[in-house]
Amino acid sequence: MKKTLGVAAAAAAIALTLSACGGSSPASSEAKGEINYWLWDANQLPAYQQCADDFTKANPDIKVKITQRGWDDYWTTLTNGFVAGTAPDVFTNHLSKYPEYAAKKQLLSLDEAVEKDGIKLDAYTKGLPELWVGQDGKRYGLPKDWDTVGLFYNKAMTDAAGISAEQMASLDWNPNDGGSYEKTIAHLTVDKNGKRGDEAGFDKNNVATYGLGLTGSGSGQGQTEWSFLTATTGWTATDKNPWGSKFNYDDPRFQETIAWWAGLVDKGYMPKLETTVGASMPDSFGAGKSAINTNGDWLIGQYKTYKGIETAFAPTPKGPNGERASMFNGLADSIWAGTKNPGASVKWVEYLGSTACQDVVASKAVVFPAIASSSELAAKAFADKGTDVSAFTTHVKDGTTFLFPIADKAAKVDGIMKPAMDAVLSGKKPASSLTEANNQVNDLFK
Amino acid sequence: MTTSTLPRNDRKKPLNWRRIGAWVLVAVALAVTIAPFLWMLRTALSSNSALASNAGNLLPADFSWGAFKRVLGLQTTEEAIADGGSGAAINFWLYLRNSVIFATVTTAGQVFFSAMAAYAFARLRWPGRNKVFAVFLTTMMVPPIFTALPNFLMIKNLGLLNTMAGMSLPFLFMTPFAIFFLRQFFLSMSREVEEAAMLDGAKHLRIFFQIVLPNAAAPIATLALLTFIGQWNEYFWPLLVGQDENVRVLTVGLSVFKSQSPQGALDWSGLMAGTLVAALPIFLLFIAFGKKVVNSIGFSGIK
Repeated sequence: MKKTLGVAAAAAAIALTLSACGGSSPASSEAKGEINYWLWDANQLPAYQQCADDFTKANPDIKVKITQRGWDDYWTTLTNGFVAGTAPDVFTNHLSKYPEYAAKKQLLSLDEAVEKDGIKLDAYTKGLPELWVGQDGKRYGLPKDWDTVGLFYNKAMTDAAGISAEQMASLDWNPNDGGSYEKTIAHLTVDKNGKRGDEAGFDKNNVATYGLGLTGSGSGQGQTEWSFLTATTGWTATDKNPWGSKFNYDDPRFQETIAWWAGLVDKGYMPKLETTVGASMPDSFGAGKSAINTNGDWLIGQYKTYKGIETAFAPTPKGPNGERASMFNGLADSIWAGTKNPGASVKWVEYLGSTACQDVVASKAVVFPAIASSSELAAKAFADKGTDVSAFTTHVKDGTTFLFPIADKAAKVDGIMKPAMDAVLSGKKPASSLTEANNQVNDLFK
Repeated sequence: MTTSTLPRNDRKKPLNWRRIGAWVLVAVALAVTIAPFLWMLRTALSSNSALASNAGNLLPADFSWGAFKRVLGLQTTEEAIADGGSGAAINFWLYLRNSVIFATVTTAGQVFFSAMAAYAFARLRWPGRNKVFAVFLTTMMVPPIFTALPNFLMIKNLGLLNTMAGMSLPFLFMTPFAIFFLRQFFLSMSREVEEAAMLDGAKHLRIFFQIVLPNAAAPIATLALLTFIGQWNEYFWPLLVGQDENVRVLTVGLSVFKSQSPQGALDWSGLMAGTLVAALPIFLLFIAFGKKVVNSIGFSGIK
């Protein structure tokens, strides 16, 4: 045994001295063999499996093996794979993650391929392809879909409260008194005795149904929590986007909005932050514990499956600038720098970004593909299923989207902003404490 | 609880308040222990999409075998999604096989090598024995998380990632606990038997295999059972090095029922069904070996 250990230790030592530095350039661009593809959303698995089958029909030499892993495990497994050399050739990438992967040289740039194969970038919904151009000016992904945020509401509850779909679709908001948005939330809040939130004698400590659900503090982005409100005040998260290096969490417009939002908890219109830990906002909605949820369109399917609950959708409220707003986030497919098969990987990524595959994705009515024409097909497919998705498409139509704030050091920013936002939302600290957090964040970029 | 070892007679024992109280206590303890399992079963037999609106109902919400079908891989992705579950694929039989191999191999290795080491620490006299043992015991204080990264790098450099060998190696040889546990038992074994064997010309190997091991069958069985359960439930290391489908174990496989997309909800019924099915082998082991564990507390052999 001693001997084997000695041998093992020696072998390990040799391996350490020989360990490659990775990031080797693709030598051959032969497109053959099996490539691994990862995605996280099981709801989209059937669509992409179909794409893979069609792709192999067209390219008999290439097989695509799809692995699906839930969001919670996806990123840890992926980074683990980068280190271990077992990462997939191609994977679904996210705007909050890719800057760091690009900085750590884990992604293959696609510029050459785009140029050589004449990929038409203007076929994609406006603004999406540019999101994937890194700080070094290189392109690290081809857009696959986009998402916006909207209000998911319990139709039986709004009916009972005498609020029409038209009223839900024409709410307005401001940070001072919350506008008709807050009035509606208050009216939809019901305590244990059946008293509504805007009635005298409402018991805010014993609420049966909250007007607005809560999923968390939203960290520094608040994609589905508050970003659609802060954007209507003229506030932006960074000095420029993408690749901003100065954050604006000290802006009074931002802090007023967050103060208003955190105030909903004090009024009893929104659950306390500590009740959301380990819980799921959609499940609470399905249990009739909240009337309105603000969430992303990728969860339409999930909200629709709850038995005994009719979910309807409304666009986000209009803000002080007289317009609606929604964060515009998109996913893309990227190639891992360590792939042994860059040729086949490039082909697959191009196919994923093509009209052929995105039309298939559209037909399944799960998400909105990045290619504009496929996106329209998706809206039709949703309508055929009886879901009106205009609440989500209206932002693209009216141009009221703003981009997900793309910046370097996202994980570190998150590490500062999440506890800071949690403290404000749980009432431990005032919104003005975010100025201090903002200083810490900006120090990262000095 | 009081137990009497009086000879049995046919007279009924009088029902006194004390006995009633004891029975009530036992019944409450049993209910508290079993309730979570019943709740798991109830959740596993529900449709995931109906769970939220029937949170307070003790019976399954919208009864369905769907969750168990998902666990056993008998449902297509489309069916699973329509059922309100996670559409993630789970290759149950493969993961079960991997779990069995992983737990069996590591248990066998750990118990065997630890028994050898314990024998050396308990029955052999060599300079510095107790000092080495003390150092050994201090390694019990090192949290596994500290060794995870060096271990990972070593396994990576050996090229053993995503192999059964790489998953088993850190657990294969010994753990301080196992050595400590067996050493305590070996220390209490009688010298006479060993000396008699020596006079008959037996060497250490023979003494170890033919005298010590058979005599220590009960504690070894106990240790094996405890180790097996521990290894069966091992999560972190297999998650690090056994991501590949071919070596994935059940604990890692069950994570497919977690949230599929940001802010999404879990597939609770699938998760509960999977956990129940995964716990079944351990349950069967307990039924088979439970008595042995209890008996090993009372030692046999020459005192």
